[in-house]
Amino acid sequence: MIGSLYHPGDTPLHRIPAAAKLGFLFAAGLALFLTDSPAPLAAAAAAAALLLAATGAPARSLWRQLRAVALIIALVFAANLAFADAGTAFAVLCRLSALVMAAMTVTVTTRTSDMLEAVERGLSPLGRMGLANPAKVGLAVALTLRFVPEIFGHYREIRDAQAARGIAASPLAILVPLVVRNLKAAEDIAAAIDARGFGAPRDGASPKERHRP
Amino acid sequence: MTDIVLDNVSVKRGASIVLDSLTLALSERRVAVLGANGSGKTTFVKLLNGLVLPTAGRLMVAGLDVARDVHAVRRRVSFVFQNPDNQIVFPIVREDLAFGLRNRGMAKDEIADRTATVLARLGIAHLADRQVHGLSGGEKQLVALAAAMVTGPSLIVFDEPTTHLDLRNRNRIRAVIGEMAEDAVIVTHDLELARDCERAVVIADGRIGFDGCPAAAIDWYVGRCS
Ligand SMILES: Nc1ncnc2c1ncn2[C@@H]1O[C@H](COP(=O)(O)OP(=O)(O)OP(=O)(O)O)[C@@H](O)[C@H]1O
Ligand SMILES: [Mg+2]
Repeated sequence: MIGSLYHPGDTPLHRIPAAAKLGFLFAAGLALFLTDSPAPLAAAAAAAALLLAATGAPARSLWRQLRAVALIIALVFAANLAFADAGTAFAVLCRLSALVMAAMTVTVTTRTSDMLEAVERGLSPLGRMGLANPAKVGLAVALTLRFVPEIFGHYREIRDAQAARGIAASPLAILVPLVVRNLKAAEDIAAAIDARGFGAPRDGASPKERHRP
Repeated sequence: MTDIVLDNVSVKRGASIVLDSLTLALSERRVAVLGANGSGKTTFVKLLNGLVLPTAGRLMVAGLDVARDVHAVRRRVSFVFQNPDNQIVFPIVREDLAFGLRNRGMAKDEIADRTATVLARLGIAHLADRQVHGLSGGEKQLVALAAAMVTGPSLIVFDEPTTHLDLRNRNRIRAVIGEMAEDAVIVTHDLELARDCERAVVIADGRIGFDGCPAAAIDWYVGRCS
């Protein structure tokens, strides 16, 4: 059963506050793009793999969640190999793997509600300055967590359906129906978010705000 | 009851007319909407909380003009979509119910209270901390309904609530709809569910084909399909 990104547990990683983990992830993400040299990037990927292992989540379930992303990373690696050189391709491979594994370490050890609260609190100064809408960013994070497992599920269904019809596994043959299907779902999801009053003036809002379209 | 008044309401999509000058007044507690695939049922019910706006004519819900007061209308009208997968937007059941309440700026402990009450009312308190992704279709439909109820609407609109369900879950949803205090407008291909209603409207090619008591509406609709 895929789906449970969060793996309940009581490891030191689980006990670190969500805000600290997200701050670290943000910093690590930036740092990974400061260098192009393979050695530090490889070290970062290895460190991220160790962190992920320390979450205590079963390797099988981690791999199931990583599989589709691994496919995309493999494609990017192949493209770099073809159009750039082996060194660049290796550096890109390490950077993306480190990023994905670090991000997974955070999602596996942090409850969504804790994560959202941290995101919204962290962004509230930007919100006050009018530079970002914390509620929107929070919703985007929640949607990602909610629908990533769903998309993995679709990926498997489409792959199985094609296998049943004797179509050999090719990334394009899976990607196209996957994108089409998720675009259709996205339209419905957007309607559902509207229907549930997201972005409407809140009860405490001033009458002026209330009448803003 | 929640008054719904359509005055020559049309909906155009590009060049095609999806709904053509509907004039209708509904005040029953349970209204069924029937009709063939593509006849315009979903478009019709999406009008009721402003997910689709009339391109001509006027629609009043509970005394409010939907085109002008869409947010106020959405506070009174909740929507349960056909596919609960696309309507549940948070990964954990409890968090999803909280979403609509947070959008209203409600305080945390009140959110927790209301969420617990509604989950208990639908007999799914045990699902509160479950991952949505791991729920069965019937459980998801109940969660979607709980999220629609939790904001305290006076009207709940259902778009084919039983289509994806097995017999047991379908009966459960049917019982819940029958007993709930909120008014309901229900798009359905489930004729028994339609029979539970006080009134049925059949949409045919974007117009009102029949409007009356469910038994007569079903006869008319079945006759047309054979
Ligand atoms: N977003 C859209 N863009 C263009 N046309 C649309 C759109 N949504 C619906 N339509 C068209 O409007 C008509 C009515 O669609 P609607 O979804 O309301 O039908 P329905 O009665 O709910 O059908 P079903 O029983 O299959 O759910 C259809 O011909 C459909 O193709
Ligand atoms: Mg429909």
